[in-house]
Amino acid sequence: MVLEIKNVNKVYPNGTHALRGVSFDVKEGEFLVIIGLSGSGKSTMLRCINRLHDVSTGEIMFEGKDITKLRGKDMRQVRSRIGMIFQHFNLVPRKSVMTNVLSGTLSRTGIFKSICGIYSEEDKKKARDYIKIVGLEGKENHRADNLSGGQQQRVAIARALMQNPKVLLADEPVASLDPATSHSVMQYLKKVNEELGVTVICNLHFLSLVREYSSRVVALKAGNLIYEGQPHDIDENWFQTIYGEEAVEVTIN
Amino acid sequence: MNTTTQQTTSDIPNPNDFLSVKVKRHFSALAIDIALWSYTVLVSWKVIYEKVIMNMRYPKFFWTQPLTAFVIGAVIALALYMTSLSCGRAFTKLMKRDENKPVLKEPFSFFIIAIVILTFISGIYISQVSLHEFLSDSGLTGARRIFTALFNPNFAILEQATFAAIETIYMAFIATAVALPMAFIIAFFAARNLMSESKVTLAVYNIVRFFLNVSRSIEPLVWAIIFSVWVGIGPFAGMLALCLHSVSSLSKLYSEQIENISDGPIEAITATGAHPIQVIWYGVVPQIVLPYLSFTIYRWDINVRMATVIGLVGGGGIGTMLMQYQGLAKWNEVGMLVIIIAAIVWLMDWLSSRIRESIK
Ligand SMILES: Nc1ncnc2c1ncn2[C@@H]1O[C@H](COP(=O)(O)OP(=O)(O)O)[C@@H](O)[C@H]1O
Ligand SMILES: [Mg+2]
Repeated sequence: MVLEIKNVNKVYPNGTHALRGVSFDVKEGEFLVIIGLSGSGKSTMLRCINRLHDVSTGEIMFEGKDITKLRGKDMRQVRSRIGMIFQHFNLVPRKSVMTNVLSGTLSRTGIFKSICGIYSEEDKKKARDYIKIVGLEGKENHRADNLSGGQQQRVAIARALMQNPKVLLADEPVASLDPATSHSVMQYLKKVNEELGVTVICNLHFLSLVREYSSRVVALKAGNLIYEGQPHDIDENWFQTIYGEEAVEVTIN
Repeated sequence: MNTTTQQTTSDIPNPNDFLSVKVKRHFSALAIDIALWSYTVLVSWKVIYEKVIMNMRYPKFFWTQPLTAFVIGAVIALALYMTSLSCGRAFTKLMKRDENKPVLKEPFSFFIIAIVILTFISGIYISQVSLHEFLSDSGLTGARRIFTALFNPNFAILEQATFAAIETIYMAFIATAVALPMAFIIAFFAARNLMSESKVTLAVYNIVRFFLNVSRSIEPLVWAIIFSVWVGIGPFAGMLALCLHSVSSLSKLYSEQIENISDGPIEAITATGAHPIQVIWYGVVPQIVLPYLSFTIYRWDINVRMATVIGLVGGGGIGTMLMQYQGLAKWNEVGMLVIIIAAIVWLMDWLSSRIRESIK
């Protein structure tokens, strides 16, 4: 078990109860997809896993240790083993692709060195390798914010890979991309999962993508975990339970 | 695939609120009407009647007069409140208008146009516009004399004037350079997104904002006069005045930049396990440094211009020199100075826009 989510509750300071007693396991090497309507708590779940948010109660076991109470250096150490990519890519604007990818190594680069922009030769070589893996060879010195959406998301994947992550969290990684680009980005995630053996937890909106890429699915509804199973087991009934009575499935090609 | 689960909240407020909203609207409508009518009465009386019609040179002014105008205005406003002449009811949308009728054909529009015409006529009289003076023989001769002198600048003072100009540029530069670190720090306290965490920080934010607004709304020219009494006439007083004004302007611009920072990169860098200092360096600084630089260079450009004006009241540099020659009616020398000032302003403008363009 890479991650064990145990009875996690999350109440935001404004009183929103975003997660209600959520428990599930994440197995080594799987491609787990979290589905659910907007506002069901998917982003909150991922942000609790890498401690961008604190859980209110419950435990999150990462490699057998509870990480919910870690502080300072220990917490950053755990974060560095969990990569994350975002819907809006969240690259540092005005900086080059190389600088953005190298920022994935910040946790193991000294503060002073990183301020001066000094990285080890090993990391630089690795950055170039990952840029090649995500198909952006030759774009190392381009400004990240001048790339297309799909390319930016691939830079974000390379940045996350620089952390040597055990787990990669992806929060609706293709929600602001067109269908063709969505598939391309999803295929890179699949490659990362299968060839580099990184466990992936991915929030998704489209069931067609879920069926194609995931190895297992959990569904959230209003902060509750309501489904856990294989992607092809989601039938009409489950679909309506997860998305509501009037929902109609649309596909993305 | 998405179904809307959002509940539509009812648009109709509860009856009590509704009543008070309506009363408030009538209140402001009446206030608008009274203000407009008082103004009309006062201007017609003091300017149109006394100056234009009676041709009085120095009409007497008592504080009871605006009061009388106010009372008369209020009476008229009340009397005409329910008619279609009421601008207040039109502005607050209390008046039921025929949507198909053009706004300009409504009686209240005529009233507004009348007020604008009244103000225009009064303006011409009050600023003593006189074509007669503008085109008089002696006036034109004087103008010709000055322009001839201005276009024949005295190059003998070129060296002296250049030094004065350099003094001005340096004064502006130092004012900007000293203002920069102060504004850099103050900006964090004046950024709403950083300060809305607790009541205490919000109070600090409001106090800082208040002082920034006050010091910014006092012209550097006025500050220069204050400082020249304080530290004596000269470049130092001018520098202080510019510096103060720059601190408040830059703080405002910087803090707005901080308020516009996007959280995305900060979140992403945090998620890599970076130290908070690294998060600031990689997530925050790239988002603010170029806009800051651009604002600061632009400020220097503005300060050079302002330094010239401040020199006129004794702030040193080329402005002071200009004032001295002007006082002696040495127009050839003034002509030289005007050329140099124009050249500097043009140069700074060009330089700062080039630099700002290249760092965008
Ligand atoms: N920072 C926050 N503060 C308060 N409430 C939040 C915050 N972030 C999310 N929420 C609320 O928590 C609930 C779950 O949100 P989220 O995890 O973003 O859902 P999802 O990613 O599935 O769309 C929503 O009701 C949302 O409004
Ligand atoms: Mg979300």
